[in-house]
Amino acid sequence: MEKPDGLQRTGSLRRFLNSKAFMLLILIAAEVVFYSIISGGDYLTMFNLRNILSSMVVTAYLTTGAVFLMISGNIDLSTAQVSTIAGVVMAKMLLAGLPWPLAVLLTLAGCGVVGLLNSVLINELKFMPFVATMAVSYVVQGVMLLMTHGASVDVDDAFIVWLGAYKLFGQIPVNVVFTFAVFAVYGVVLAKTQFGKNLYMIGGNSKAALLGGLNPKRMWYILFINNALLGGVAGMLQAARLRAGTTNGIANGMFSGMTGAILGGVSFGGGSGGMGGAFIGLVMINAFNSGLTVVGVNPYWQTVASGALLLVALTFDYFNTKRLTARK
Amino acid sequence: MANYLEFKGIGKSYPGVQALRDVSFRVDEGKIVALLGENGAGKSTLLKILSGDTAPDEGVIIINGQEQSFASPYQAIVEGISVIYQERQLVPSMNVIENIHSGDLPANGLGFLKREETRKNAKEIIDKFGLPIDPYELVGRLSVAYQQMVEIMKAYRRNSRIIAFDEPTAPLTDAEIAILFRLIRQLKDEGKLILYVSHRLAEIFRITDEIVVLKDGRMVKTMQTVQTNEAELIQAMVGRDIGDTYSRLSRNDKFGDVLLEVNNLTTDVVSDVSFRLHKGEIIGFAGLVGAGRTEVVRAIFGADPVRSGEIRLDGERVSFKTPRGAIERGVALCPEDRKEQGLVLFRNITDNICLPVLGKLKKRLFLDKKKSEDLAEDAVKRYSIRTPTLDKLVVELSGGNQQKIILGRWTSKLIDTRILILDEPTKGIDVGTKAEVYQMVCDFAKAGIGVIFISSELTEVINIADTIIVMHNGHITGVVKREEATEENVLALAMLD
Repeated sequence: MEKPDGLQRTGSLRRFLNSKAFMLLILIAAEVVFYSIISGGDYLTMFNLRNILSSMVVTAYLTTGAVFLMISGNIDLSTAQVSTIAGVVMAKMLLAGLPWPLAVLLTLAGCGVVGLLNSVLINELKFMPFVATMAVSYVVQGVMLLMTHGASVDVDDAFIVWLGAYKLFGQIPVNVVFTFAVFAVYGVVLAKTQFGKNLYMIGGNSKAALLGGLNPKRMWYILFINNALLGGVAGMLQAARLRAGTTNGIANGMFSGMTGAILGGVSFGGGSGGMGGAFIGLVMINAFNSGLTVVGVNPYWQTVASGALLLVALTFDYFNTKRLTARK
Repeated sequence: MANYLEFKGIGKSYPGVQALRDVSFRVDEGKIVALLGENGAGKSTLLKILSGDTAPDEGVIIINGQEQSFASPYQAIVEGISVIYQERQLVPSMNVIENIHSGDLPANGLGFLKREETRKNAKEIIDKFGLPIDPYELVGRLSVAYQQMVEIMKAYRRNSRIIAFDEPTAPLTDAEIAILFRLIRQLKDEGKLILYVSHRLAEIFRITDEIVVLKDGRMVKTMQTVQTNEAELIQAMVGRDIGDTYSRLSRNDKFGDVLLEVNNLTTDVVSDVSFRLHKGEIIGFAGLVGAGRTEVVRAIFGADPVRSGEIRLDGERVSFKTPRGAIERGVALCPEDRKEQGLVLFRNITDNICLPVLGKLKKRLFLDKKKSEDLAEDAVKRYSIRTPTLDKLVVELSGGNQQKIILGRWTSKLIDTRILILDEPTKGIDVGTKAEVYQMVCDFAKAGIGVIFISSELTEVINIADTIIVMHNGHITGVVKREEATEENVLALAMLD
């Protein structure tokens, strides 16, 4: 896309080929080939593909929230606990006989309040996001345990159960489709809209963004609340799939969410990364873990592998940043 | 035998740039050598090589006849080299004693610190330089100037043979500069080898004995300070004679209506500030660092809260809660610290230029990439910003080009800037670009924009501005017309109590 007398503009294909997402795609391809050979064809089956997709549902919401927050230069460690309590609260309300739309809305409202609390602590009281959201996380977890005494709460509302179990054409879980749609919408918002661009500018340098006419505080209010709402949706979907609000439902969810984001090129410093990369990162982790299961590796290795993958991603990030800054 | 440091045939290239080419010169004991050059001339690269931060592709560093090559900054320190950078290399939460000894606090066999010894040591050094510094004060609570002194004492404590200064006076007031120079002369008298990097010609004449001029990575000239003059140096640096920059400016002489009227503005820092800015007028704010100039414009721009007083735009009273409001009314601020407050360093040129007008670059719901890039390209061309592509991250550009990006941001065709506030717009940019910026400022005025020009360089303010407002300690201490302004009378007002 060079213009005769203009400056060179990098085309999107070229940009893609330079991106981390492209590297990850190659890695995923290698993964698929590797597992297919080792498992003797058990890996690339419809059943296993569905498993991979299903396993991405909950993490996808947490990743989405994490991507948005991290690009804007913030972080929320309370999301997993918000998810867990959302599943439990919704289940309790259904059990008490509330119709599902009301139960869902009230649960979301509760999640929104936690998001608001987080953003007030960070925006108004200027607490470190890491510490503030960790504290909130404990409070939420404690409240959840007080409510349940550690026991899970069954879900038998017809619609919610349908949402958790129904498969389109008998093959594709409806919640997977719903999740992918949500993911895609967020992806477009981030990549194509003014709101998305604002996130990058605020994450890159909030002071410059403020003096350039953006409103970082307002953005962080929106993002923390959005993050808590996404966490709530994840928790409720998880409860729908398990037909119960469980108290240890999404223990590692937040970290897998952030892992997906980081694999996708989102850096802790803020200002970079995107949803496409995060999606590929998510596929990468889940395909990898599923492969380990199919091949019959001890499931505890999956945790080790997730950590190792994250380290690889961070190393990658380190060299990338170094390359960018070393040129001066 | 006297100590000496020699650079011999130093060459270094980065992808796409030959940063240094065949640079050879000597620094002898008892002489302060200035390294002079525009931004991008290769001064920083040479310092990085000297400090072991990066290795040269060609050539060697020789100290007292011995070839040296440093694998790391640590090794360079061990070999007796200290570089005092603009950015402090200190731990703000620790005290002066600890910072002076940082790296190797003396300890006994069990690892316990020898407190008494370190204290005595530090006290001795502080007294030697005659500085009024409490050894137990936390470094973070010292003024910028004293932090720099601590840095120098740290180098001294390490017994460094070679001390290099990178633009040491940039953040200092005149009084502080005097103290710094006294310290540097004291170090010279003790036989240290001193390399002094600066943009500021006046001080090069005050402090140095020899001058090495770099341009585009090559050595242009080495000369004895007493045998040269400013004009010759500038010509060597920029490769052309820029003559008297100020007299060549094509200025605006037609002022219009009152654009901005500030009455008794009071904030946490400044009090009772009043002035009027007309269309096409350039108002300069002079004063020492910390006089409250930045705070005045931040309050006008809605970035800091106003306690009392009023701000009128076109006669109408306004009070902006955030910069957004000010921007919508045509007020633009180029902040003092480009990197900290002006630019999003790790985003590209397009994003940085389009920042305040993103809302106008939409095609229905989405941002229009082509429109954004056209807007950025237009700015790049108008200000001849040197870059191969719009996708370059602004962190990779020189200071002058970065400044032009901020100017481009506020003068694009999608924004109607009527009041342009420039806070230290020439800080850290080279002589050649400075002259360009001065002309741009005059051009803005000609186009009917009211300009507020804040600068700590006296010569610059009194030559660019039509009216100079002098501040001290949060108050306006004087208003001077350009025709009546001299460095002496403005400085006197700036120091007035």
